[in-house]
Amino acid sequence: MSRDQHTLDQVGRSVPRVESYAKVTGQAEYIHNLRLPGMLHAKIFRSRVAHGKIVRIDTQTARDFPGVHAVITAEEVMRLIPSPYFGPAFHDQPILAIGKVRYIGEPVAVVLATDPHIAEEAVGMIDAEYDELPAVFDEVDAMTSQVIVHDELRPAGTFPDLKHLKGRKNTNVALDFKLRRGDVDQGFAESDHVFEHTFKVQPVMHTPLEPMVSVGEPDGDSLIIHSSTQMPSFVRIEIARLLGWDEGRVRVKSGLLGGGFGAKVYIKLEALAAALALLARRPVRVALTMEEQFYTITNHAATMRIKSGVMRDGRIHARTCEIWWNGGAYADIGPRITQKSGFTAAGPYHIQHVHIDSYAIYTNLPPAGAMRGFGVPQLVWGYESHTDLIARELGMDPLAFRRLNALKEGQEHATGTPMRDTAIDLVLEELGKRMAWDVPFERGAGKVKRGRGIAIGIKASISPTTSFAMVNVTADGSATLYFNTIDMGQGSDTAMSQIAAQTLQIPLSKVKVVRADTAVTPYDMGTLGSRSTFHMGHAMQLAAQDARDKLDALAEELGLPARETPIEALFHKKFGMSAGNVIGVGNYTSSYAPVDPETGTSANITPNWMVGASGVEIEVDTETGHINILRLVSVADAGSVINPGIVATQLSGAAIMSLGGALLEHMQYTDGELTNGSLAYYKIPAFHDVPHNLEGAIVESRQSSGPFGAKGVGESASFGVAPAIANALEQALDIRIMALPLTPEVIYRALRESEGNALVED
Amino acid sequence: MTPFDLHTPSSLGDAVALLSSDDTDARPMGGGTALMLMMKAGVLRPQALVCLRSLGAGFRQIELQANGDLHIGALVTMSMLEHSAEVRRAAPAISRTMTRLSNVRVRNVATVGGNLAHGDPHMDLPALLSALDAHVIASGPDGERCIGVDSLITGYYETVLGKGELITKLVVPCQTGMRSAYMKVTTRSADDWPALGVAASLRAEGNRVETCRLFIGAATDRPTRLTTAEAMMTGQNVDAALLSRAGDAAADAIAFIGDAQGSAAYKKALLRIYLGRAITAAMANATDGDLS
Repeated sequence: MSRDQHTLDQVGRSVPRVESYAKVTGQAEYIHNLRLPGMLHAKIFRSRVAHGKIVRIDTQTARDFPGVHAVITAEEVMRLIPSPYFGPAFHDQPILAIGKVRYIGEPVAVVLATDPHIAEEAVGMIDAEYDELPAVFDEVDAMTSQVIVHDELRPAGTFPDLKHLKGRKNTNVALDFKLRRGDVDQGFAESDHVFEHTFKVQPVMHTPLEPMVSVGEPDGDSLIIHSSTQMPSFVRIEIARLLGWDEGRVRVKSGLLGGGFGAKVYIKLEALAAALALLARRPVRVALTMEEQFYTITNHAATMRIKSGVMRDGRIHARTCEIWWNGGAYADIGPRITQKSGFTAAGPYHIQHVHIDSYAIYTNLPPAGAMRGFGVPQLVWGYESHTDLIARELGMDPLAFRRLNALKEGQEHATGTPMRDTAIDLVLEELGKRMAWDVPFERGAGKVKRGRGIAIGIKASISPTTSFAMVNVTADGSATLYFNTIDMGQGSDTAMSQIAAQTLQIPLSKVKVVRADTAVTPYDMGTLGSRSTFHMGHAMQLAAQDARDKLDALAEELGLPARETPIEALFHKKFGMSAGNVIGVGNYTSSYAPVDPETGTSANITPNWMVGASGVEIEVDTETGHINILRLVSVADAGSVINPGIVATQLSGAAIMSLGGALLEHMQYTDGELTNGSLAYYKIPAFHDVPHNLEGAIVESRQSSGPFGAKGVGESASFGVAPAIANALEQALDIRIMALPLTPEVIYRALRESEGNALVED
Repeated sequence: MTPFDLHTPSSLGDAVALLSSDDTDARPMGGGTALMLMMKAGVLRPQALVCLRSLGAGFRQIELQANGDLHIGALVTMSMLEHSAEVRRAAPAISRTMTRLSNVRVRNVATVGGNLAHGDPHMDLPALLSALDAHVIASGPDGERCIGVDSLITGYYETVLGKGELITKLVVPCQTGMRSAYMKVTTRSADDWPALGVAASLRAEGNRVETCRLFIGAATDRPTRLTTAEAMMTGQNVDAALLSRAGDAAADAIAFIGDAQGSAAYKKALLRIYLGRAITAAMANATDGDLS
């Protein structure tokens, strides 16, 4: 049968991406390009102080400016929404500042006009007076500071582990996750060696090339929100909650995104766009400039203190980790990062005694949220730098030290969750092979020194979460897929199409994807944390199987041979013409066992483990501190892959993006004021910065609980890049850098200091 | 960005007249790459822009004169410089500089005149062109004059150009027998502005430096000539010890200004090393502009 020859083995093939032709020919639609009749443009007036009481907002001149439709402050918003506080974990973020501002750049007022330039000019006419308050910026200082960012904690109530924080006062700690396994004091006492280090990660920005945009559109008694969001379902729920409406009255439409990287998860501009559209009774577009994104969401800067007790033979026996996450002024999803990443702070190692304390901290900086890796890269920076420091001190080979301590299949992780289908050993083996680790490494001569380094991290999937999918088979034998996973460049449309096509046994060309629209596409928790391939892939497989089963049942009913009868013939025989649908539905919810609040442990914190390792070979100019990455290798366990070509670009993309945070990106603040908030002054890696030798590899493995054995891989190559470079740097120069980024000047200064000749300022 | 009037004059005279008028605060625009950044940031809010793109093909020409001088119209883009056979032949140090001068999108529209008139000390070309002893022709309400690139820029975004005065042409003198190099030292992405730019142009006999012009950019508020180092190098045989002494002397003579690309102390340390590297690179280059 020619049909079968076409359709066999859709999964596991590097088929071209389904949306790429539209993208490269400029036909792909983005929310950024949406213009609606009668639409107003919103421009935001932002706080110039880091912490202060609002004394007065003078909007009269702006209101009187010709062409201005309206100027909106919290006062107007509260007439529509009495308690306009939003957020996924805490209801702490006002749509516009109410009574107080908490960071420089916080939205205070909005000008609406049909001409965006008029709106922008009028923003410059707004004047606000503040009674300035002392501010706190450092995450460790904020633990004990007298400066309190929020008078009272306001957990959203959706997460059981946040309930105990409700109403808590006089604290900047939004969540204090703890994990207790064994007895670390006893563990340290029994250890032959104890090591302790403190590492820091700087704030960086996601830098999606399509800046955030949300358009609110009143529609009778309902509201449509067009948004470049990674989470249409969550946005709908949160907007309905704010308005006190049924979810059915809120329709959220997303599109292809020009990058997300976590910047567009949960709720960002949508609450403001909703309020403005309903107040103005017209469509309102809230579109950020690239510069404004710096004031909207960043990664978490973090400080990690890690202490390990190690036995003479190199086994890690006890470990404590304390991590302070700089969450900025509003919690966003920080408390979840604090907990979910907190789970894995001790690394991919088998350790008998583990204590972890992970703190989500409020400060007077822009809000921090999820960014590729969901906190794991910050932790891996700490624990994998620490790993090499220990191995070096013990005189052990860094790869051998890791392999000795690595969690083995079936062993319990510190949380008590056993490792299943987690190819840590294979990933390390493959990395060692690719790096030719057993061959002595040429260390360079003269002024140019060489070094190589490795690092490995693991990540738990966000859990429990649920995904729904629908597959609509039409009478001509083609299928339309309805699901809320957002393709933001990671290739999910293609992967889901492959899964559906293979399950239905139809050619890929007969499968089309419907863009996310909550009035049409069913619920999904969101596109984040590398969860889509596993969760939505499952739901899609179930939905397609449901449709296939119904088709087979139809064949049986009609007395036709199932599978061998073309689908169109089934419909034609049943309805006497080309008509009708077969609709398959699928739902997948990951399993999860609640965490014991006293010990932070659970027999099942994640449906699958992600494993990613990085290896680098570098040379360093000892006269200037410049690093040249000669080679960057990423190895991951992605289970059995759905599309190897896309997986390869996910690995290289994550690796290149991570070079930015490792080597050059740094949001620089002076007293809470960002001094490099534009792409002219904040640099990300460009083509000249991509290492000539950039390799990615997937190990032979299978996630037995995954769809076709697959699991997510979007973040895995982001885990270990920075510590691998720092580890290589120590091999090359005998210097150890504890804080990111590893700029030439940082390296140069460390070198000079190690020579007893510290660089002095003029 | 606030609204503005856009004028697109078709003659130099009209452009000068528009820019000289006391009625409006008008700014000239070549490629607009730097100007737009400033306008988007709100630090510059001109009432009018005078777009120079329609001034005529003459301002977009690169001509190698019979005497070896290179005449480059002010509206020549960085990409045109990058790919010009004449430039590669007469002043290859310019061609070599282009690949890492910002990025291809900027190079496609940014112009030579705009680059120089912008007066940003972080630009790569002013230091290099100063070392090559290039000059510009400027036209204004009071007529035409010739200005050395080394005396064009007087401080951050400050030049000697008067109101209504436009750069019309860049002249790179014949480089026959000269060896030149520009070292761009970046500390973040490769297409970033430099933390330090070092330009060396010299005439050598064997290993002996006969004459040299040495300039740095991005380290002070304008391209700065390294006169002490020039004196130390002139008439001397090049060796590592001399380069190191000259680098130290040059670094010690300058009051560096730190920025996001590097602290003053680090830039000073970079110059100690990079002066020697720039001179070595220049010595290693074939003599430029060998038109025979």
